[in-house]
Amino acid sequence: MKKMIGLDKLPALWEQLSAEGPLYLPIEERGVVCFKPWYEGAVVRLDALNGVVPPKDIFLPREETYMRYQGGSQTLEIEAVSPGPDDKATLFGVHPCDLKAVEMLDRVYIDQEPGDSLYRRRRENATVVALACSSPDPFCFCNLFEVDPADAPGADIMAYLSEQSLYLETRTEKGETMLAKAESLISDAKDEPERPREVKTTDFGLYLEGLSDNLKERFDDPAWDNLYKSCLSCGVCTYVCPTCYCFDVEDFGHEGAGERFRCWDSCMFGHFTQMAGGHNPRPDRKERVRQRFLHKLQYYPQTYGEIACVGCGRCLRSCPVNLDIVQAVKALGGEAVEQR
Amino acid sequence: MNKDNPLLPQVATVLDITSETPDIKTLRVAGKDGLPFEFMPGQCAMLSIPPIGEAIFSITSSPTCRECLEFSIKEVGTVSSALHDLPPGAHIGIRGPYGNGFPVDDMKGKDLLFIGGGIGLAPLRSLIGYCFSNRDQFGHIDIVYGARSPADLIRKSEIKETWPAEPDTSVYLTVDAENPDWKENVGFVPAYVSELGFKPENKIAITCGPPIMIKFVLQALDKLGFKPEQVITTLEMRMKCGVGKCGRCNLGPVYVCKDGPVFSLAQLNELPAEY
Ligand SMILES: Cc1cc2nc3c(=O)[nH]c(=O)nc-3n(C[C@H](O)[C@H](O)[C@H](O)COP(=O)(O)OP(=O)(O)OC[C@H]3O[C@@H](n4cnc5c(N)ncnc54)[C@H](O)[C@@H]3O)c2cc1C
Ligand code: SF4
Ligand code: SF4
Ligand code: FES
Repeated sequence: MKKMIGLDKLPALWEQLSAEGPLYLPIEERGVVCFKPWYEGAVVRLDALNGVVPPKDIFLPREETYMRYQGGSQTLEIEAVSPGPDDKATLFGVHPCDLKAVEMLDRVYIDQEPGDSLYRRRRENATVVALACSSPDPFCFCNLFEVDPADAPGADIMAYLSEQSLYLETRTEKGETMLAKAESLISDAKDEPERPREVKTTDFGLYLEGLSDNLKERFDDPAWDNLYKSCLSCGVCTYVCPTCYCFDVEDFGHEGAGERFRCWDSCMFGHFTQMAGGHNPRPDRKERVRQRFLHKLQYYPQTYGEIACVGCGRCLRSCPVNLDIVQAVKALGGEAVEQR
Repeated sequence: MNKDNPLLPQVATVLDITSETPDIKTLRVAGKDGLPFEFMPGQCAMLSIPPIGEAIFSITSSPTCRECLEFSIKEVGTVSSALHDLPPGAHIGIRGPYGNGFPVDDMKGKDLLFIGGGIGLAPLRSLIGYCFSNRDQFGHIDIVYGARSPADLIRKSEIKETWPAEPDTSVYLTVDAENPDWKENVGFVPAYVSELGFKPENKIAITCGPPIMIKFVLQALDKLGFKPEQVITTLEMRMKCGVGKCGRCNLGPVYVCKDGPVFSLAQLNELPAEY
């Protein structure tokens, strides 16, 4: 049975859900929308397009302490720090493209041995309410990756926005449990909710069939010699990409006590692969740009069978020099010449 | 490896530290009850001194040594020099084992040719020790080892006395330049390998050393008729996680920390040469 809630009752819903654990919503602060824990008075923008930064940080935080140590050279003690079983987050309003990207991270962090318990615990504890996307912008091209902007198969609850109500379709037990807690605010949807019409995203004229296989032969393609030239090595493309997941490990503290944490890192930075004696296997922007794009277009698909891009458009919106995945695919022979 | 969080180290004790060369020391490291974990030759471990940091090193002892793990460490930066400066009995963090290790089963019944340069002997030594402990499973063993100068050779008593005395084993030592105290070969490792003219029949060559040495050793082995399937090497990349997640050690779709660091030349030929 589908449920509905009046838009005017949403703040009450947020309040109730956030009592159960952190509730992440697209919240606008100073004109920027990002997933943030809800607080009273927060400006929730369910109508907004994808946030600048994807919600990957809820499962793979920008910084995460996983170990604390105490004592010195003869008395060292190490203690694990991990998210508690009660740390049950709710993600509310995730778009289908971003949820598909999370599923791509799942393969690396959960399925691939050895699994990452920090990620897995957060992911398994979380309830995800996906929101149908009705107004993609000109940079969105998720259709190319078989994402239906109106439906996210992996969601616990699929939500649709109409003018006065939010319709909620429960998909899993977790979703049911969540809605049961907010029973007083929610009613049965009388009619079939109006499912958003088929949503079309931009067609950049890309043709991906066989691309991953063809790229195996194009590691030394002359296209790389031009593609990278405008790159500023700023790393924004990797920070905003929902399928990027590299991290660094560092210590913080002094001799007697401190912690070890991991934090987001980027393959676009030179120090990333810098080795002792000055050798660097990816010494220049050319090799680093190639790594980023080949990881998405060839390496990840070779391992997991699918291109690691969901067409969210973030690298198109954020790269200061327009060196985005669409440009890369075009330069690498992924343009649908025969179809034009 | 910690089952819950593979990044989490356990506390281990440095039993003692021996100077090998002006910039290499060997640490013997034990967990609470002997070995911190089981491993196979060619695998590595992350050693750490909080808050200085973590770095990855090959386990140079053989798994048949049950008392402790040994690491030969060259001083190149923060963690390696902090490890050099530890007093005996010091606590460190250790996690592992990481990597695939040598394909020991494929080597059984074969003659083995080890070719090492400088600190590159470290991973080879684990396998060499394993072979000596299981001597009847392997054929003839040749070991070619070289360094810049006699002072830069590691494990001096083993390479000069212990190993040559092992059954059916030949050890060939070389240094880059003439030296008054040096009676053995003078010349670079790859040239010495060519000169010794090893036959490829029923043999596997295993090489580790500085990238430039590996490059010329591979050429020398090719000239001697070794097929890419008969040549095995270990790679070094920058590493942080050791489990194929942090993203910095890949060659194409392959992660050196997890799928390597040991590769046959045949496998490497299929991968982008980004090392
Ligand atoms: C699989 C593997 C096995 C190894 N086995 C041994 C061994 O048995 N003995 C040994 O002495 N060394 C070994 N190394 C190299 C060793 O990991 C580095 O020398 C060490 O990490 C340097 O750390 P540091 O903190 O002392 O240097 P840092 O202060 O971190 O850095 C000094 C310089 O080394 C670079 N660097 C950092 N980490 C690495 C790394 N993993 N590889 C290469 N350069 C790095 C830094 O970018 C910098 O340029 C191995 C490396 C790998 C990948
Ligand atoms: S591709 Fe663009 S966003 Fe990425 S590092 Fe280069 S300039 Fe920055
Ligand atoms: S590569 Fe660009 S469009 Fe594709 S998922 Fe990453 S940020 Fe989005
Ligand atoms: S060291 Fe992290 S992926 Fe290999």
